[in-house]
Order: sequence, then C-alpha cells, then structure tokens
Amino acid sequence: MSTATIDAVSIPLPARPGPGQRYLRETALLVKRSLRTISRVPERLSDVTIQPIIFTLLFLYVFGSAINIPGIRYQDYLLPGLVGQSLAFGVIGAGMATANDFTSGVIDRFRSLPVTRMSVITAEVIGQVVEQILGLTLTAGIGIALGWRPSFGVLGAFEFVGLVLLGLTAFTWFGVLMGMVARSSEAMQGIGFAIVLPLSFLAGTFVPIEGMKTVPRIIGEWDPLSSFVAAMRHVSQGTNAHGSWQVEHPIVAMVGWCVLIIAICVPLALRKFRTTTAA
Amino acid sequence: MTVTYSQHHECASLFEGTTPLTHHELAVVTDRLTKRFGDFTAVDEISFSVATGSVVALLGPNGAGKTTTVRMIATLLAPTSGTATVCGHDVEKDGDAVRSLMSLTGQFAALEDNLTARENLVLMTRLRGYDKRDAAKITDDLIDRFDIGEFRDQLVKSVSGGQRRRVDLAASLVVQPKLLVLDEPTTGLDPRSRQVVWSTVRDLVAQGVTLLLTTQYLEEADELAEQIVLIDHGKAVATGTPADLKAQIGDHRVDITTVDVAGLDALAAALRVQDFDMTVTRERRVLSIPAPRQALDLSAVADAVAATGIPVDEVALRRPTLDDAFLALTGHPAESATDVDTELDSVREEARV
Repeated sequence: MSTATIDAVSIPLPARPGPGQRYLRETALLVKRSLRTISRVPERLSDVTIQPIIFTLLFLYVFGSAINIPGIRYQDYLLPGLVGQSLAFGVIGAGMATANDFTSGVIDRFRSLPVTRMSVITAEVIGQVVEQILGLTLTAGIGIALGWRPSFGVLGAFEFVGLVLLGLTAFTWFGVLMGMVARSSEAMQGIGFAIVLPLSFLAGTFVPIEGMKTVPRIIGEWDPLSSFVAAMRHVSQGTNAHGSWQVEHPIVAMVGWCVLIIAICVPLALRKFRTTTAA
Repeated sequence: MTVTYSQHHECASLFEGTTPLTHHELAVVTDRLTKRFGDFTAVDEISFSVATGSVVALLGPNGAGKTTTVRMIATLLAPTSGTATVCGHDVEKDGDAVRSLMSLTGQFAALEDNLTARENLVLMTRLRGYDKRDAAKITDDLIDRFDIGEFRDQLVKSVSGGQRRRVDLAASLVVQPKLLVLDEPTTGLDPRSRQVVWSTVRDLVAQGVTLLLTTQYLEEADELAEQIVLIDHGKAVATGTPADLKAQIGDHRVDITTVDVAGLDALAAALRVQDFDMTVTRERRVLSIPAPRQALDLSAVADAVAATGIPVDEVALRRPTLDDAFLALTGHPAESATDVDTELDSVREEARV
C-alpha cells in the first residue's frame, strides 16, 4: 500500500467503438456478472423453485385427492397451471433482485462509469429472465418426474416455450419497474405476494374457474393471469376453458396482455431509470 | 456531440505541460447547484470550485447535503437547478464525457458482493473498455498496489470493511481519473485503515490527481484538504483554507486544565477576582481565557495561576480548532459521527427518489 504509485502499469485506453457496439459489449459483461452471482448464491433460486415445488406436492398429493376434473389427469391439469402461475411470480423475483441491486450501490457504480446506461438496465432484465428460466425448467422437470405428460408435438413445444419467454419478458420488465419504485426488496416481496398470490389462486391454476362461486368466478374470468394459465394448458394439453372471452381465446389474450404490459412498463422503467440520472 | 476519448482531455494537458496552473483551470465548478426532493431542499444553491490539481473537502455534519452534491457532480442525480461542470463538461448535457474523466468512490463501497475482489476489479476494468488480457494485467497491478493479494479470491461480502474499502478505491483507479471524488472515504473505518486511505490519497494527490472529498471529520479535512467548503443544511456557509477558517473565528486562547473539578472551581473563583474573562468546560476540567496578545497573555495567565497555588495539569496557548470554527459559523457544533445510520438511511432514500 505504501508503494501505491499510479502508473505502475500504464496501458492506454483502447479506442472507443461506436455506441451500438459498446452497448452490446457492456450488456454482455454485465449479464455475465449476473449469471456468475447465481452460481454463488444458489439459494436465491429457491424463490423460483421451492414455491412451485411446494404447490406441486401440496396439490398433487394433498388437495388433489379431493379434486376431480373430468376428462384430464390432475397432473396434466395442475402443471401447466403452475407454469402460468410461476410466470406471474417472476414479478416478485425480478422486483426483489432489482430493489437489492439498486439499494446496494452497485448499480450506481456502473452508472458512474462511462458505459451506456441502457446496457445496465438491459443486463438487469436479461439476468432476471435467465434466473426465471432456470426455475421454470426445474419446476417442469419435477412435474414430468411426477407424471406430467404434455401432449404437444414439436411445433406445440416451440409455441409453449415461445409463450413462456414472452410472458417472462413482460413480467420481468414489470418486476424491474416495481423494484425501482419499491423502497426495499422486503417491501417488494410484501406487496408482490399480496397481489399475485390471490390473483393466481383465482386464475384457474388449481381448480376450474367455472365451478367457483359467483364473485370469485367473475374476478377469475377477468383476471389477466387466467389467460396465462389457460394458454399454457391449451398448448400443452389441448384443453379449452369456458367463461369469459379471454379464457376462451387464451393465446390471443395472453399475447395481448404481454404486449400491453411491455408497452406500459418498458417506457416507464426506462424513464424511472433515467430520471434519477443527469445525462 | 463529439467527444475525443484519447488521453488528451482539457484537464489532462495541465498535468503533462510545463505551464504552471492558473486560476481559471478548474476541474469542478458548481454554480448555484440545487437539489430538492419534494419539499425538502437537500442542496441549496451551492457554488464552489476545485482548481485542477488541488484537494477540496466538503465538510459538514450528517445530512448536510454533501453526498447529494457529489452525486450530482458524478451524474448520478440530476440537479433541480443550477449547473455543475467537470473539466468544462456540463454534468447534464455531457454526462458521458464527465464519467470518462472522473471516478467516484461512494460512501458505501459499491461492489458486487457475490463476486470475488479480483472478479470485481476485472469487471470494472473491462467496463472501462479494456480487453481480457489488458484487464488481467491492470487488475494484477491494482491487487499489488492496494495489498489485496491476501483476499483477492474471497467473495467481497466476506471481507472486512477496511479491505472492502481498499477494493473499492482500487476499482476507482482502474484508469487514472482526472478528478477523483471520495464520498466519506474513512467513515466507519478503524484508525489503521484510515491512515492507509489517507496515505493513498496523499500519493494520488502527489501524482497530480484532483481530489474532491466529503467528510464529517474536521481532522480529516484539516489533514488532507487545501480548501474547505463548510456545508450546513444544504448551504455552503464558509469557504477557505483550513487556516482561513480558523482565522475567521478569531483569536488565540489560553487553556488551563486542572487536576480535579474542585481545583477548577477554586481557580475560576480566584481568576475572576483578577478580572480575567473566561469560559469553563467542567467535563474536561478546562478553563479558557482569550489571549489576543498570545505569548504575553500566556505568561500573565501562567503567573496568575502559579500565584494561586492550585495544581494544574497544563497551561497552553491554543489556536482555534475547526470545531470552534463550525460552532462560530453555523451556530451549532458539528454533530458527532455516531449517528451514521441516519445518514445511511437518508442516502438510501435519495437513491430511491
């Protein structure tokens, strides 16, 4: 330390490439940082894995024994529903991680460097999406081990994965926005569960909406999550739900909701990210 | 807007050339810089400048607005009104150029907790634009210079506060910045780590780095800075060299420290009879008498004390301290550093706004 001299190694800064090239390079570096931290704190993945596993076991082996849905094995009813529910829980995971990053000061450090600011938020979103994908893969794997048999072909599989990625992207942007607005990751978790949990129960995840009493049935029919759950089930098992327009046309509805969420959340998140900054 | 990213910035030429520095070569200029959060004015029309190659300290108690000020200069927070420039580049219009000229080490070491010390340094170096090979060389050199070798492969969350601050400082010096901003560089550090930070800072200054630091320690500002901007409730209440500020609060005085409180009371009574003005601080058993004639007053007081026969520990001529300056200029003493938590909360609050 006493020998601290400044130019012990003096390597001139390389010429700066154009903004587009810099954006890609910086995003890649920052995504790598997010991914590396996942392997360092695997328990962080528990948010996206333990919960679906508990729901799977609870409904498959405890409540499931009393649930009889005509025309479909309960595994095949439950698992696509849980995938839909997990998409929505992504809001909470992404929001908590974002709130953490923003309060820890590490985002400020990146923002005080001469890096393109879009790369910081892009990397934040990509890192979260990857984390959610890992969680979903595990959930699906456990589901298959417990007897879930999706009935889609190759095309259907692509459709399923495509819809999942679209949903993840939408909910992650939503979560990143919420994480920047929330004051702490604890607040984010509290608010998130208070909203997402009831909506996911009413969305036909575990039992069909048609059989619910009037009030929950009407909420369920218009609950955006219902279209996600119905779309997952429609693509993976070929089933059709009944009730509102959105559950009868689940794929169009799900794509519509996703586009709407992205159209609202992306500009708001970018604005929120910029308003705290000068240039 | 085109920015040249070679090493030849306006400020850089000042170090390389042989011409002596002149007054208009300013690394930082703020002009009525203001930041409001709703109804709360955190920074209230602060104007100051930092000459290239100099060290300026923003000195003030918790919550005075120091951190908000440097966050605006570092382009992390947009000013509500007023302007700030770094080497002539406006922080709002030309943020990218500002960021390429300066480095900020925040109050809370901003590192990725779940990466090792080395991985953090490599990431910061690569984000500056270096390729893998050069980044490895630069990082190894930083690890050497900042004595990080011992814990280079430990996750940052598991190292001590002093070690963490070293990594943070190293991360700020990947590229030698024209302007280094240190926000409370030694808050919460043990005395040894504080000395280490101070000696690093002195080395950097000797190399020609312009330094703007914030501190709530009067001793630190006195120790490191050539110019002090005293900040209170978002306003710059005084500016000057440490000696200027001391001069502003007036004269020398004689401090007499008695052996016990009974002696203090007896001495005060005896001297009062002889028409000495005085202030008595019972907690420290100190009696202070103004000494505008310095040595003459000192000997007069010393004789008077000796004549009373009351035992004393010390009779000394004192120059005013920065603590006295703060009291004289702001009407209240500098708050102690014990409630760092309040500051921590208020900074987090700012970060969210």
